[in-house]
Amino acid sequence: MAATFFGEVVKAPCRAGTEEEEEEEEAGRRETPEDREVRRQLARKREVRLLRRQTKTSLEVSLLEKYPCSKFIIAIGNNAVAFLSSFVMNSGVWEEVGCAKLWNEWCRTVDTTHLSPSESFCVFYHLKSNPLVFVCQCSCYVAEDQQYQWLEKVFGSCPRRNMQVTILTCRHVTDYKTSESTGSLPSPFLKALKTQNFKDTACCSLLEQPNIIHDLPAAVLSYCQVWKIPAILYLCYTEVMTLDLITVEAFKPILSSRSLKGLAKNIPQGTEILKKLMTTNEIQSNIYT
Amino acid sequence: MASRYDRAITVFSPDGHLFQVEYAQEAVKKGSTAVGIRGTNIVVLGVEKKSVAKLQDERTVRKICALDDHVCMYFCKILTIFIGLTADARVVINRARVECQSHKLTVEDPVTVEYITRFIATLKQKYTQSNGRRPFGISALIVGFDDDGIPRLYQTDPSGTYHAWKANAIGRSAKTVREFLEKNYTEDAIANDNEAIKLAIRALLEVVQSGGKNIELAIIRRNQPLKMFSAKEIELQVTEIEKEKEEAEKKKSKKNA
Repeated sequence: MAATFFGEVVKAPCRAGTEEEEEEEEAGRRETPEDREVRRQLARKREVRLLRRQTKTSLEVSLLEKYPCSKFIIAIGNNAVAFLSSFVMNSGVWEEVGCAKLWNEWCRTVDTTHLSPSESFCVFYHLKSNPLVFVCQCSCYVAEDQQYQWLEKVFGSCPRRNMQVTILTCRHVTDYKTSESTGSLPSPFLKALKTQNFKDTACCSLLEQPNIIHDLPAAVLSYCQVWKIPAILYLCYTEVMTLDLITVEAFKPILSSRSLKGLAKNIPQGTEILKKLMTTNEIQSNIYT
Repeated sequence: MASRYDRAITVFSPDGHLFQVEYAQEAVKKGSTAVGIRGTNIVVLGVEKKSVAKLQDERTVRKICALDDHVCMYFCKILTIFIGLTADARVVINRARVECQSHKLTVEDPVTVEYITRFIATLKQKYTQSNGRRPFGISALIVGFDDDGIPRLYQTDPSGTYHAWKANAIGRSAKTVREFLEKNYTEDAIANDNEAIKLAIRALLEVVQSGGKNIELAIIRRNQPLKMFSAKEIELQVTEIEKEKEEAEKKKSKKNA
């Protein structure tokens, strides 16, 4: 053990090995039936369930096996979701196909009947006039242990390669690795990261090294890379992680990309819808003035 | 790299950063947007005002504060707005107000805007150099007129620096507002009091989503008392601004045609 300058006690690593300690630890680690039951219950609680819209029953196969698509647009996070709602889903008729229900320490998804921008949900839609166009709006946090389940239930264990996946999400600008101070960065700004099979050009510059991404967007992009699916992630670095007009508008260049072209028809109306979304939830925080 | 040198305020990183001070600047960005403009004969302070929780008394959520309030002959000449941690703002405002009165009692002269700004900045700097304390998570815009009748606008930040500005913005999306001000702040724009007020409101409308009802505005004209704008007055200004915008757009489309 060692004490640091600040008084924390830190276990110093020992190269001599800790054989005796290991034996004692193993004895403690042996599972009792009680442990197994707790683990089982926890796994059941943390299960990701994909439900069909009308019947609210679980899907037997993965979502994309049941509803094959050629274009899959996934918005993760409230600003990305607001962008899709305002600019893409304002034109055409979108039908809800199903939703994902999950629970973790950070969020519990709500029922999809009355969705508000401040709640957590994960809903899938397809365009009625062209059911091969699929959209996912995910404003809930999917924990690390749930990401693989989510992928399996949405994409399946053997996904088709003839679809294009576009992921939209936001990160705080302090996550952007740069030697400049964050104050001098032109936030919000867009960066892209794509899989090897994505041959089109991105609408913005690629994320420079070290190009590290996190959470569900990282899981989806990795999955697409492994299964050779053309996919691109558009990441908006912003200073404001809550629902913010300027952050959502930073996604606008994507409207001219091949994946979203033809889907966004009425951009001025989109801006109006966005403003309405913003006004619904702006309570003054007491901590920050 | 950052995580090894950001746990204590009194530790520099090898490349010279004081991470806690930089993180304090991030706290400021979590607050609302505030804008300050120094006109020729007027100073304007505007701030985004979000709706208050239903059961909360709105009177206790005032953002623009007077730092000195001369009794009898003089009017309030120094206004300030602090953005960032509310509690830190309250503490610093109290200290500044006490300093204003103490100065007046000691030397029989009211403080100058620069003096009180320097006092606040020095106080903030002290907290970046003490063990066991953290920096104040607030930036301030301080406006006012000195006895010589010259308008002033100063900005301070958590590191304890202060500078004079012609126009500036702090808080959420401050960069966007500052860019707007850089494009639109001209000597003509601020020569007229009404134009200066409109400039402040237009700058805020760049980032305030819900329009005039979510803006708080205060002005001081030379040798006149402080004026807090009512919601109606702000709405009137916003309507005028929208009219001007429409007319400018019509002219543009005519030109293009």
